[in-house]
Amino acid sequence: MTNKFDAITLEILWRRLVSIVDEADASVARTAFSSLLRDAHDYTCMFTDSRGQELVQGTFCTPGQAGAMALGVKNIITGTPLVDYRPGDVFIVNDPWLLAGHLNDVCVLSPIFFKDKPVAFTACVFHHADIGGRVASDNREVYEEGIFIPPLKLYDAGVLNQSVLDLIRWNVRTPEEVTGDIRSQVAANHVCAQKIIEMMTDEELDTLDDLADEIIGRTEKSMRAAIADIPDGTYPYRGLIEGTGNRDDIHISLTVVVKGSDLNVDFSGTDPQVDWGVNVVYNFTYAYVFMAIKSAFDPDIPINEGAIRPISMTAPDGCVVNCRFPAAVAARMQVGHFMTEMVFKALAAATPDNIIAGSGGTPAQTNIMYGKRGDGRPWHTMIIRGGGLGASSRKDGHHCAIFPANGANTPVEILESDTPLIVKSRELVCDSGGPGRRRGGIGRKMVLKVPQGTGAPQAPTTIAVQAGRYIYPPDGLFGGQPGSKARFLRNSDNADPGGLTFCDNGDTISFYSAGGGGYGDPLERDPATVAQDVRLGYVSLERARRDYGVVIEPSTLGAEIAATETLRAKRKSENDS
Amino acid sequence: MDKSYRLGCDIGGTFTDFVLVDDETGEFQTNKCLTSPADPSEAVEQGIQQLLDQTPDFIGRVAEFIHGTTLVINAIIERKGACTGLITTRGFRDVLELGREIRYDAYDIFAEYPQPLIPRNLRTEVDERIASDGRIIRDLDLQEVRKRLAQLQAAGVESVAVCLLNSYENPVHEKAIQQLIRDAAPGLSLSISFEVLPQIREYERTCTTATNAYVKPITASYLQKLSDRLATLGFAGQLFIMLSSGGITSLETAREFPVRIIESGPTAAVIASQHYGKLFDIKDMFCFDMGGTTAKSCLIQKGQAGLVSTFEVGRVQRFKKGSGLPIQVPVVDLMEIGAGGGSIAEINRLGLLQVGPESAGADPGPVCYGQGGENPTVTDADLALGYLDPDYFLGGSMPLDKAAAHEAIATKIAAPLGTGAVEAAFGIHDLINETMAAAAKTHIAEKGGNPGQVTVSAFGGAGPVHAYGLARKIGAPRILVPPLAGVGSALGFFTAPVAFDMSRSHRAVLDGADFAEIENLFRELETESAAILGGTAKNEEILVERTLMMRFVGQGAETDLAIASRPFDQWRKAEIRELFDSEYKRLYGRTYDDNPVEFVTFKVRASLPARPFRIPPLKTGGTSLATCVKSTRPAYSLARKDFVEHTVYDRSRLFPGAAFAGPAIIEERESTIVVGEGAAARVDEFGFVWIDLEAGESAEGKLRFQKGET
Repeated sequence: MTNKFDAITLEILWRRLVSIVDEADASVARTAFSSLLRDAHDYTCMFTDSRGQELVQGTFCTPGQAGAMALGVKNIITGTPLVDYRPGDVFIVNDPWLLAGHLNDVCVLSPIFFKDKPVAFTACVFHHADIGGRVASDNREVYEEGIFIPPLKLYDAGVLNQSVLDLIRWNVRTPEEVTGDIRSQVAANHVCAQKIIEMMTDEELDTLDDLADEIIGRTEKSMRAAIADIPDGTYPYRGLIEGTGNRDDIHISLTVVVKGSDLNVDFSGTDPQVDWGVNVVYNFTYAYVFMAIKSAFDPDIPINEGAIRPISMTAPDGCVVNCRFPAAVAARMQVGHFMTEMVFKALAAATPDNIIAGSGGTPAQTNIMYGKRGDGRPWHTMIIRGGGLGASSRKDGHHCAIFPANGANTPVEILESDTPLIVKSRELVCDSGGPGRRRGGIGRKMVLKVPQGTGAPQAPTTIAVQAGRYIYPPDGLFGGQPGSKARFLRNSDNADPGGLTFCDNGDTISFYSAGGGGYGDPLERDPATVAQDVRLGYVSLERARRDYGVVIEPSTLGAEIAATETLRAKRKSENDS
Repeated sequence: MDKSYRLGCDIGGTFTDFVLVDDETGEFQTNKCLTSPADPSEAVEQGIQQLLDQTPDFIGRVAEFIHGTTLVINAIIERKGACTGLITTRGFRDVLELGREIRYDAYDIFAEYPQPLIPRNLRTEVDERIASDGRIIRDLDLQEVRKRLAQLQAAGVESVAVCLLNSYENPVHEKAIQQLIRDAAPGLSLSISFEVLPQIREYERTCTTATNAYVKPITASYLQKLSDRLATLGFAGQLFIMLSSGGITSLETAREFPVRIIESGPTAAVIASQHYGKLFDIKDMFCFDMGGTTAKSCLIQKGQAGLVSTFEVGRVQRFKKGSGLPIQVPVVDLMEIGAGGGSIAEINRLGLLQVGPESAGADPGPVCYGQGGENPTVTDADLALGYLDPDYFLGGSMPLDKAAAHEAIATKIAAPLGTGAVEAAFGIHDLINETMAAAAKTHIAEKGGNPGQVTVSAFGGAGPVHAYGLARKIGAPRILVPPLAGVGSALGFFTAPVAFDMSRSHRAVLDGADFAEIENLFRELETESAAILGGTAKNEEILVERTLMMRFVGQGAETDLAIASRPFDQWRKAEIRELFDSEYKRLYGRTYDDNPVEFVTFKVRASLPARPFRIPPLKTGGTSLATCVKSTRPAYSLARKDFVEHTVYDRSRLFPGAAFAGPAIIEERESTIVVGEGAAARVDEFGFVWIDLEAGESAEGKLRFQKGET
């Protein structure tokens, strides 16, 4: 058999590979236990060729997990000689330095055998809401953060290693859910493996490696062509990430160097790792640097090893974005998610139409909540909240998205059935989108009540926050204004988003996510569009006037053109002087 | 007057199809006329007038008029529904706008999202609250409801959706609001989530209810016009509407729940296939319906199409899951597997050939239509390959420009790829077949079928052209082309049962569940659904099927268990557990005895016995194949990768028992059937064309691994 594939065949086989991984991905929603997986979709499925080169990842992946897996899974696979793998082997690992940067992201990995030879590896990372440990971003070392699993065999040639499962069970708060979700991971890999074997049988392939070379080669070519379109140059950026709970801010220094079809991001000058949980491992930093380049310049092509080849990254050992063991890493998204935005900012002047302003969903706003019901049964849940997406030269920011990560909200009715909590509201927040010619996406608030009386839990109800934007709001670009800040309130007082909050029955907890940054001068926004924003309650009458210089007639809510022109002219002359 | 006729009518995007059957003689008549988008009932009247020219006075003898329409889906896609308002629980008016918040394409930072059907300023809140266990936490204030209603009416709202939090568990507040609005504003169109979709997950429920409300007035006025026109014409029979679930229902129910007739059109082909599957006792039938813009498919196992409970409408990006509005009502498990005849071929950024999703539509249409289309389409490729006759498209009423099609393929596809025009045309034809085959194989495999054992039933204008290539690629041994394949949807109406599905969520752990309470719940559902059927046919035996939706406690998705309809309190808990375990094991490989299971949703399908339907025997009495041959022409052989002479047959002259081998082409007015080399066609006594592919012919995999130009 020849090893070359014509263009049409290649397209078809590639499509089939994507549908295989998406099928594995879809099985998770049917078999998983945690609402973080089945409803919020915090997991990623992928598979590699026999050399550990990523071939396909799930369409609904989380970019942080996916990007880190593209590097990490290869390292794990190539760490064992191919001849030592056995059919039915299933590995489990959550070493943050090997994979996706915190203990909650557990990877289950299996070799796929065809005609007695390992031809591929299938892997999935699930974010387990509960991995034991002390759940907060103020731990000092990874030892406090939960159970650490080096690469172990969960199944050895098809035989369950019960000790591994028992060890995990005794180290987590909700063992049924955690083991149920691990079983779901094994099932997802099983679905993937079955489908790959079917395809190889149908297509009479003995290996996937030739096909992988073609697919990876084409993808690399596409990514290189996209990078070559960026003007060659050195693009530095220096930024700040807030230290929650009165900690010091973290300085990030990065330099993007574009040379032909190669792109390097260097983090020299970035602050050293810190003694709380926001340190980022190399893989995870890389994932969100990659996300920036991929989404801005070559978003259409499915991702594989080829997409990452042209993009390199260097970071001093022991800095906050390339931390050393045993740094605390549980809340690594509080720093890691900023990498995408910072690369955008570095490249903004050179490629102003490819990027977006700061987003309220950067970092993903995460809450872990747990306690005991009135009858003593434990409950434990985790939610992810988005914020307003940053605006761009072409459009307003979408309201409410988790970016650059991805995921869904947990339905209120699901949250209320799974916990004793009552959700008072989940709604958009007026005036939260950063003003601009293009407005930033609207942020949202969510208000929870710990019930009293009937249905009340046993106090306290514990809430951990892993989030950001409490001090520095998402920036605008090119004259666009920042979005609103995030807020975390217990009853009517600001609470500490840096540690654990212990709530009494009757307490009201409010989470406000930030709005997205605006793009361009708000005085240039079409007055009719501003009036529409006012009618829909995205922008108030007062702020239409103050931020956009648009005078709205209060009874009709239409823009008064003459008055607006006068006001804007006045505002512009003030700005110029 | 004796009512022996039934009339099926399917309104599509371009054409409105009619099939009139005389149940006494079994004879069919068909008609096709252009759809009238402004008032679709106009084309219905026009088409019936044309039928009356052929068969005077039949209209008074029509017992049933069965109807499918794209009206509802078009109103949603084109945003032409009513000005709609929402009443919801305080704090949750943005549920509809926030959706599930997931970015459906993780790497597309400029992705568009579907706009909610109800704008923010028309979503209003009332202060009330039900807990997840159904407890009332805060009472409803009817004064406040009155105030909100007045505000919505002042804003010009024509239709109102009501969806309160946790109402699936206790609808008392929704019912109170319903009563209030009925009294205060009797003419206002109203949709209540507890009636439309009493299931957990507020976004999906609100979205489904809002969609129902959005299309309710337009559906009601259309159905009124339709029944008025029919009455004026002298129609005095019963009017039925096709549901997305494959059943048919009364006009009243369709008017109340228009969200249930969204896939009314494409479902009919599936129902027709389902009927043929039973008729010919075919275990696995793959219904393949390829029209101008899309190809839809459905696997029919043992004469039964799958039913799913959720789908999406109005996708911003057609093939991207999650870019549309989720609708949770029972719908036949249709899958869009590819593009249609009008889909455009191009070379993408990677230098690869791509077909669709862009479509040339009817205007300008494919290059060969000569209406200004410049981009080559699948139809152009089919023409260039000789499958279509330029002088016999739609029976010759629309001449095609073959040279122009060839030229467009040569310059736009062949030149950049560095191949010849014929190879490029074959590439287009083959790629769309491959794309559909890949999707079809996944779809079939997911449903537990084997592509190597299915019979492909072909419908639509382009279906019979591509069925042969598709069957080869998925390894299917046989193709079935029913009579009137081009208007096959309308034929499907005659075989659909009168049926209605209802469901309700109620979470209860198996061990602690009160089976008597569940029996009551089932009985309520059965009474309600029987009442809906009751309007359409009385004194007939209503068949009731019960389904449990169960899962392990803590899971988020349910496994469906069909159960016998004996009183629920007569079941033992261990029996239910055993049913669950065996089904879970079948689906996912293993089950876990230690984990408790729970009920989540209870479903009921009430239906009337399937109606008799006969297909008339062919009347053509010839015995000589020679009389059926129109001509011969060169067409492309998929096996030889070259042009070979194909014998062209006229389908209307084919007689029972006619049999011949490929390469051949069978032409009829609405479609063209390709019978490739090595395949054998035969015509049965009812005019079905059966095509057997050569055993082991699906060696397509080998053909593809030739040396490429890479």
